[in-house]
This record gives sequence, structure tokens and C-alpha cells, in this order.
Amino acid sequence: MSDPSTVDPSALDPEEYPRKVLFVAGAGRSGTSTMAGLMQILGLHVPKPEVAADATNPKGFSEPQWVVDHHDRLLKEALVQVSDSRPEAWFETGRVSTREPERITTAAWLETHFEVSRELVVKDPRLSWFLALWRVAAVRTGATPVFATMLRPPAEVVGSKQTYYANKLGSAHLVASWLNMLLHTERGTRDSVADGGRVFVRYADLLDDWTKTTMRVGETLALQNVLHANSEQIRDGHRFVDPSLRRMSQSLEDLALPPRLHELTAETWNELNKLAEPDGDTPAVHEALDQLREAYTDLYAEAEAISRSSVVAAEQRMKKPSKGPGPTPAPGPVANRGADKVPHGVRKLVPPSMRRGLRKMAGRSR
Amino acid sequence: MNAHAGTTGISNLEGHTGYDIVWPWTRPEGLRSGSTAVLRVKDEALSLPFVLPPLLRSMDHVLVVDNGSTDGTPEVTTSTAEAAGLAHKLTLTSYPFQVARAGAEHLAVHELSVHSLSYFYNWCFAQVGTRYSFKWDGDMVLTTEGETSLGDLGWQIGDVQSIIRVPRHGLYLDGTSHAYLDLGLRNAEEWGYPIGPDFVFTKAFEWEVRTTPEPVRSIGLPQGLCVELKYLDGDEFAHWTDPASFATSYRNKRKRREWAVFNALQAGTVPDGVHEIHAPAGVHVVDHVTREWLPRAPRPLEVGTVVTSDDRRVPELRSGIA
Repeated sequence: MSDPSTVDPSALDPEEYPRKVLFVAGAGRSGTSTMAGLMQILGLHVPKPEVAADATNPKGFSEPQWVVDHHDRLLKEALVQVSDSRPEAWFETGRVSTREPERITTAAWLETHFEVSRELVVKDPRLSWFLALWRVAAVRTGATPVFATMLRPPAEVVGSKQTYYANKLGSAHLVASWLNMLLHTERGTRDSVADGGRVFVRYADLLDDWTKTTMRVGETLALQNVLHANSEQIRDGHRFVDPSLRRMSQSLEDLALPPRLHELTAETWNELNKLAEPDGDTPAVHEALDQLREAYTDLYAEAEAISRSSVVAAEQRMKKPSKGPGPTPAPGPVANRGADKVPHGVRKLVPPSMRRGLRKMAGRSR
Repeated sequence: MNAHAGTTGISNLEGHTGYDIVWPWTRPEGLRSGSTAVLRVKDEALSLPFVLPPLLRSMDHVLVVDNGSTDGTPEVTTSTAEAAGLAHKLTLTSYPFQVARAGAEHLAVHELSVHSLSYFYNWCFAQVGTRYSFKWDGDMVLTTEGETSLGDLGWQIGDVQSIIRVPRHGLYLDGTSHAYLDLGLRNAEEWGYPIGPDFVFTKAFEWEVRTTPEPVRSIGLPQGLCVELKYLDGDEFAHWTDPASFATSYRNKRKRREWAVFNALQAGTVPDGVHEIHAPAGVHVVDHVTREWLPRAPRPLEVGTVVTSDDRRVPELRSGIA
């Protein structure tokens, strides 16, 4: 194989592209599927099998199923949720990422897919928690990791999550989780010796003009497949991107957040936006985001201290024996009858013989 | 333990008030997030050009405390950081007192003396402004994977009160293109600690020891992330009183292994577990080992079963078990 550093990239055969893996990070419902899908159309390889499309994402997720399962298992090991607002959760997933067996497994999986293609794209809403693990896997496979973080206004992300995932956790928790995710994803993708660069992409920009946006991504991260995409791939890109995908137009004010959380979220969104500008990834923005991360950590610690009684009460509930003497339920003539919860019209449809059998199983005479 | 005697700091027995210790967590401005590597160095001018760049890249800050170098260590420290474009992350300072060598000399010195290793360490770490710290030696070089691992853990640790153990392997240099890597020793010492009143230095038998609360969390990084440079044409044991100081105790197993490997290599014998490595033309052997040989070596890395005392302290020691 030729030494890539001495060869004109445009003259390279795809078999000779330098090994590279694009990690698409960011909060779920931020356009990560659109970005990964476009990269796939332009020639980067999404390791198979992929997660199947569904009603929440009819155009598909462009997510390798193995990665989703791998991350699910690791999150359980670390006792961390996908939407987790605890700053210390980063150490818990980082701790799991230092384990040699996980590093070996992750690198081995990556290696098998580099045998299919030399430019991969890996995306999963849980990815940010394990960027350190993937960075190591890239180092071990002689690949360069690059990062694209999708940005979408937090109010739209929260609105989208509540709509699509029927999330009952409340806006404040979801916004806090978004803050935790984005502030630390930014920190975790800052230049490392192994990396080949990073970009921040506004979902709105991608939907507005995906050609301009993806070319910037391709140029910044030196993605050969994007730089040398052909006309049919570009046509497919236009067929794929649907500007109406951005259906949420909620504002931060609509969420009625606690004032300090509202303020931190607005400031963080403002700073993250700067990163999406050409030449916007500067030390001054990093410094501002460092201060915001510190402020969020302080806010979380305060909230944790104030709500300590809730944690103690939850612990006591967990410790309480599940069986044993307890208050006897008041007897009621019909209260415990499951059949009474079934509408009469439906009950009538059950044949008499079957009704008798069901009554017998329930130990009831009638 | 005398190190805990003062709530805001400790004074030395000699009355050098300019070197009294003020605990950094009692300062009005408090501690900021992030990690600082603290290097206490004496005559490490040869090693620092390899040691500092990966450390400066992976840490929020690096503090180098020079202790009487005569080989231009301070100048090399500054020029290396500037050449890496990372001088803004470096603080260079000095500690003017002669510090007792490990072993019998250390045992004879009171821990509140400016000549004590534990007082010296407490003074060094009192200069730290971040919430987490890594004790680092002036001859320890991170591999590429080591650099990314520490770089990530350095911010992920946040306020979590956990120790981080970092395995290291002796790299015995025979010139610029030839070296011997000792993978015969399984050695993971506790290098990462929170900055706070639970984690200060006090006196142990041969050297200093850092205090810990009970219980305390501890995680370990995998093998193959850090090498310790040894020069086959140098005096690698000058900081010890004499070889008899590490001749018997289990605590000194690592030092005895180093003594055995060093002397065997000088006699022309390559001990079991030691790999002879030649660098490609034009590449320094330290760069070759840390950027290519170790990062690409098959995992799990085959490392010997000679275990050091810190490993024994954590019976469940496996990479990353917390």
C-alpha cells in the first residue's frame, strides 16, 4: 500500500484511502441519523446489520445494531442512562471504557469492518458516553477517529423526544441531560493526538443546504468518499434529505425551566453555535464552555444536595421487603375482579364454556 | 500523622516560612475542574523532551518542580513546552532544599522537615490548582493510547474521589535506535489522586505514601500505556541511598527487578520478559516504542507475573476493575 501522506488523495483508489472512522455524536433527535445517512449515501460504510427504520425515524437510523447493543450493555454496567444529567456519569462510562476486555472487543469489531471499507461511520445516541473507548479502538486498528457533533436547539430536541419517545421525565430533566451531554461531548472531542479533527453541524444548516454542509464536513475531516462523491450519490442525497424533517419549533421559553437552568442552557446553546461557524472552534469558546460546564456541575451538586431526602426515601423503598405482613386490602365485592375491567360488550363475546373455564381458574363461582 | 496537623496547612521544622504549606483547597479562589500532572525532577534534561509533550497535551496543566538540577533541566522544560506550543499549560518552579534519598536516608528524616520526601511532595501538590492530580516522574513517557486514556479520564474524573493506577514498563535505552522493553514485570502504581484533605502525603519506610480514606475507589488502566526511560549508560539508582535499601522488602520488588534487568543488560544478557527493539532508520527508539510498537502490540499485552506491592493492595486487580 502507498504511504497516504505522500500521495495525491484524488489519485487514490478507495482501497488505499487512509483508515478513518467518523463518529456522529450529539443528543438523540438532533439530526444524527440525517448526517450519518448522508455519509452513507456518499460512500462511507455503516457496519451491518443496521437498526431497522421505524415510525420514529422512517428514513432509517444508519446505526450499526452491534454498536447499539454494545453501548446498551456498557451503560448498564456503568449504571448510566442514555439521558443522564449527572456530571459524574462521565467517569462511570469512562471507567468502563478503561477495561481491557472492552477495548479488545471494540477494536476487534472495528477491525472486521475496516476489511469491508476504509472509511466507516458509527452513530448511536449513546455514542458520546463512549468516545474514549472508540478513540482507543481507532488507535489500535491504525485508524484516525474524526467527530461530527450535531447541534439542534435544546427546546426542539426536548419537544421531539417527548413526542417520539413518550418521555414522561419532564422538560427540566431532559434539558439538564442535554446540557450534560453536549457540554461533555464538546470536551471529549477536543483535539487529541490520535484525532483527525472535529466539526459541529447545526441540524438546520444540514436541512437547509446539505451539499454545502457536508462538503465542509468532508473537507475539514478529509473524508475521501465525500470529497470524491459522484453525481448519482449526490442525487440520492437530495432524495434523502427532507427539509420538513425539522418539525419542532418549540422555544426554550415554552419549557418553563428553573431560571438558572434556563440561563445555562441558553448560554451553552449560544457558545455551541459559535463552534458551527467556519473558524469558530477557538480557545475562547472552549474557555467559555469550560466555565459553563463548571457552572452546570455546581448547579447539579446544589440540586442533588437539596433533593437528598428524595434519594433517601427511594433507598428506603428499595430496602423495604417486598413480602411479609402489610396492611390487609379492604375486602370489596367487585374491586379485585379483573373481568370487571373488561367492557361488558367484550365479555359477551367470550363463549359461555370459556367463561366457565376462566371462572374456574380464578377460583370464582360466577 | 503530622501531615494532617494543620487545617489550612503545615509548617516545616526548620522555620523556612517561605516554604510553609498552604493546602490549596483552603485558598479563597478554591480549586478549578481538571487535572494537573506534578513532576518532581532532578537532572531529567535527556528525558523531558519525550515526557512533556504527551503529558502537556493530555492534562489541563503540568507543574514541574526542579530540585537542584545541574544539567539544564529548567531550560529544557521551558523550551520543550514552547516547541510543543503548550507553554500556557506549564508552570515551572523550584524547591531549593536537598531531599533525602529513598531508603535509609529517608527513614532518618522527620516528615515535617523540608528535607523529607513527604514534606517535599506535600509542598509540590500544594501548588496545584485543579481538583485532580497525577503524580508523574520525569522519565515516564505515555504511549499514544496512554495519552488519549489519560486525556479522557483527566476531565471525566470531575469531582469523583477515585484513585487511578497506571501500569508502566521499563524501557532501557542503548543509544537512540536500540532499546529493551521490560514486560516481565506487572506493575501498576497509584498515580492519580483527588486534591483534598483525604489525600495528602505522609511518611512510609522507604519513601512517602499518600493517605486515603476508607473505603476508597480505585481504577486501573490497561497494560502498555506508559514506559519509564532507563539509560544503560547512566546511574539509574542515584536517588536511592544504596542497593541494600531495596534488598529485602516485598515493597521494593519493582526496584529489585529494575536492578536485575539493568545489570543483566549491561552484562549482555536479555532476561525473560524483556524485548529487544530496534527502531526504523530516522526514528528515535522512544518514539517508535510509544507511538508504534506498544500501541499496535497484540492485546491483551503479554506481561509477566512478577507483581508489585501496589498490585497486591487491590486483590481484584484487573484492568479497569473499580
